[in-house]
Amino acid sequence: MAKKIRIVLTLQLPAGKATPAPPVGTALGPHGINIVEFTKTYNEKTAAQAGSIIPAQITIFEDRSFTFVLKTPPAADLLRKAAGIESGAKTTGKEVVGSVTQAQVREIAQTKLADLNAVDLEAAAKIIAGTARSMGIEVRG
Amino acid sequence: MEADQEAVEAVSEILARVAPGGVSVEMPFRLVAEGLAAEVDASRPAIVRAYLPGRDPVAADAAIASARRSLGHLQAFGLRPIGELSVSAVHEEDWAAAWKAHFPVLRVGRRMVIRPTWRRHRSRPGDVVLALDPGMAFGTGLHPTTRLCLAGIERWGDEGIVAGARAIDVGCGSGILAIAAGLLGAESVLGVDTDPIAVEATLANARRNRLARRIGARTGSLPVAEGPFDLVLANLIASLLVDLSGELAAALRPGGRLLASGIFIDREPEVVAAFRSAGLVVRERTAEGDWVALDVERPAGDRR
Repeated sequence: MAKKIRIVLTLQLPAGKATPAPPVGTALGPHGINIVEFTKTYNEKTAAQAGSIIPAQITIFEDRSFTFVLKTPPAADLLRKAAGIESGAKTTGKEVVGSVTQAQVREIAQTKLADLNAVDLEAAAKIIAGTARSMGIEVRG
Repeated sequence: MEADQEAVEAVSEILARVAPGGVSVEMPFRLVAEGLAAEVDASRPAIVRAYLPGRDPVAADAAIASARRSLGHLQAFGLRPIGELSVSAVHEEDWAAAWKAHFPVLRVGRRMVIRPTWRRHRSRPGDVVLALDPGMAFGTGLHPTTRLCLAGIERWGDEGIVAGARAIDVGCGSGILAIAAGLLGAESVLGVDTDPIAVEATLANARRNRLARRIGARTGSLPVAEGPFDLVLANLIASLLVDLSGELAAALRPGGRLLASGIFIDREPEVVAAFRSAGLVVRERTAEGDWVALDVERPAGDRR
């Protein structure tokens, strides 16, 4: 099929629990996407990972049909798991809620390398470390 | 808010703290390959959006202020600059139904009418009404390549070659073309698509049009064991039409017809050349915008 692309966007959603409410409705509704069909398919595909945030990269075509692929969890999700904490800091810059090692940062950077659009592992690690600090997670070692 | 691509992970984490449903990230994609593919444009920022309930304005303002404070710290963590957080109110809608407004009843060609299943349509005499529920699969009648095919099938109907015909729809998508052929009296239409979602959509749409007994669908591509066919529908892309030209010709009985669409105008010569080498003859060419469809025949005397 000659699928001419209209837009590509990514939604970071709770696995298995997406609903037509925003951000799904607000992101897809204006493009005329069958929202219920998206949430149903997304929830089916991610049911096994409930508890994680699984991004869906959605490609919307000119005729308002669409397709999507699942991406690696956001850096924040992987950092929370690595640090063994439930949630990051409520406000950035004050509390320290946990820590990760330099090696863990590089491991997460490796996992996410393809999705981060970073030039190399070094640049990806910088993104992960910055996100960690913003969440109140110290990077050690 | 706009964010340098480097800051997207951190910004979306901060916004997700106050947005229970999740966040949306629009990376700056640039279309390549005639709009058929997209790649990230590293030179432009991404846009991160988050939605929080506005029923309690005080709580919402507090959440926004807290997010703003956190965002203010980001540059201290070695991430490239980010834009300003902008806030606007979005009205609550029935999101599960709002998208339907984008699908009107569409008239294609002289008598084909595409009716989304939730809409009513008062038909005129001679109308061929396709009931369609747009889903993930391609083919809603909104794309020129689909419209060119529907008009082509209508012309075949006028020639009298659809009624009683055995047809195959290669890359059936939503099943729209198979259904059009079925409504014009084709005896059987087999839809094939490499995408299982398309196969499901075709079968569901066939049922909606009471054509379940005459339209079948399965995952796959050419060649298929059921051939040769009187009619072949192939709304694909130029490169695939070239690659499959031999199989498309073989799927036609001598004297059978092929409707090939999804051809970007620059690629038309390649497709025509491939069809010619496969022994096919182009009878008619139609175009809309940058898209071309070819009405092709396997000559009656062709016995190869």
